[in-house]
Amino acid sequence: MNKISRRQFLGMTTKAGAATMFAGIFAPSASSMLGLGGVAEAATKKIKPFTFAVLTDAHLYDIADHKFDHILEKAVADVNSIKPRPDFVLYAGDLGQSGKKAELVKGKKILDKLKMPYKIIPGEHDYYLDMGKAWRKLFGDEHWSFNHNGVHFIGMNSILVPDFWTLKKLTPKERMHMMEELECHNCGAWGVGEKQLNWLARDVRRVSPDTPVVIMTHSPLWDYYPRWNFQTYDAPEIREILRKFDKVISIHGHVHQVVYNEIDNMRSCGLLSTSWPWPYPPVELEYPHIIQRRADPGDFEDGLGGHDIALNADFDAIVHWREFSDLLPDNIKKGLKV
Amino acid sequence: MRKVRKTSFTAVASVIVVSGALIITSMAQAKPPRSETQVAQERAALMTAVAKGDDLWHSAKLGNNGLACANCHPDGSASNVHTWPKFQTNLGKVGTLREMINWCIAVPMQGRILESDSEEMIAMEAYATFTHRGVAIAPAKDEQHGAVPVKSGPGYPRH
Ligand SMILES: [Fe+2]
Ligand SMILES: [Fe+2]
Repeated sequence: MNKISRRQFLGMTTKAGAATMFAGIFAPSASSMLGLGGVAEAATKKIKPFTFAVLTDAHLYDIADHKFDHILEKAVADVNSIKPRPDFVLYAGDLGQSGKKAELVKGKKILDKLKMPYKIIPGEHDYYLDMGKAWRKLFGDEHWSFNHNGVHFIGMNSILVPDFWTLKKLTPKERMHMMEELECHNCGAWGVGEKQLNWLARDVRRVSPDTPVVIMTHSPLWDYYPRWNFQTYDAPEIREILRKFDKVISIHGHVHQVVYNEIDNMRSCGLLSTSWPWPYPPVELEYPHIIQRRADPGDFEDGLGGHDIALNADFDAIVHWREFSDLLPDNIKKGLKV
Repeated sequence: MRKVRKTSFTAVASVIVVSGALIITSMAQAKPPRSETQVAQERAALMTAVAKGDDLWHSAKLGNNGLACANCHPDGSASNVHTWPKFQTNLGKVGTLREMINWCIAVPMQGRILESDSEEMIAMEAYATFTHRGVAIAPAKDEQHGAVPVKSGPGYPRH
């Protein structure tokens, strides 16, 4: 076993220590942690196996018959065809492109074709025209949690930035336009903010540590490439609150790509969009073998798709990136065990 | 003859890039000599083109379906400016970066292509190339390349 995991399991990890362990590298399976002289306990709670599906980042435009409409429709039909049928679907944000009500209404209409219930969180593209008003009216709370078959599911709004518009006297449209750019020069880093952190702490206070946890946010809960908000500034606080759990699976949209990372007890999976694939940013990855191949710009479905995640009784999750075309490396074609 | 060649080689080699800032070192061998003011003006003209290209790169106005170049190519990423000209499957021939930019405008963005030598096209090329400053030229390299890492701001001195 490597140094990092031993230190963690001897309980010496401080908050500051955890922050320096950027993208921890201990072995991914729960069983491999059992070799540490009984220091770590495997999850004792059994769950009732089930599958759920995840879609994200449709970026629908207020333009009739747009190509992204059809790709989302295709992804919805694909999810409906999964057997056994997923118990529910999670949607990780950026349903619209410019925060217009018409985009969100169109998106809801397509998502309502899902044959199972779905839960959704906002992305920056859904939000900054009216600060989430239309989104909340259509979809309800921006953060939520529920239990399913013994697993605790959490969804949070991770795209909140400090006010950069009032002083500059920006119109809502100008504000939205700035946020629409991935490289926004003056928008600042996103996070969930103090209110949601407090909510999260309260939410998990009475959830026992052996409960499997799945958390969904729009942006990654690790510092991937802050420049493009491939980050959540208060992710260290989120990870700290969730540190008591044996295993936390984090799923996130926004990156429009297959990407994987581990920090402490959290395994993070980046999701495919149904709009366009983002290029990989110029940073080194801890798991470079879990990325998709380069997309053909002439094939509008390349690098896009949905996901299903199958959980077994021991909370081993098999994550399937259901890419429409053939860009997955062989090692994750049949799914990735996390 | 030999002397001339050596001179031009030195001039090329002296254009270097240091930590994100374009620094053009001694142009003493260029003929006729250019004053510092002149050099500064020329550099400013380039940066004006880069800024104009940046705006166009992020503008949905080039297309007709809401998309901008930056939808798929944030910070100029994956434009792979250092690999052109090369055989590009979508072009069906050995093509240039400008032809590829026009292909992207015409196909994924459903817009109207630009004149190859237009101010707009040159500005777009200037922006994309500037985001790859310091990246070694690699003709036909067949792998996606990120642009120069950017911490914050536009990624170049912009006023
Ligand atoms: Fe997105
Ligand atoms: Fe996003």
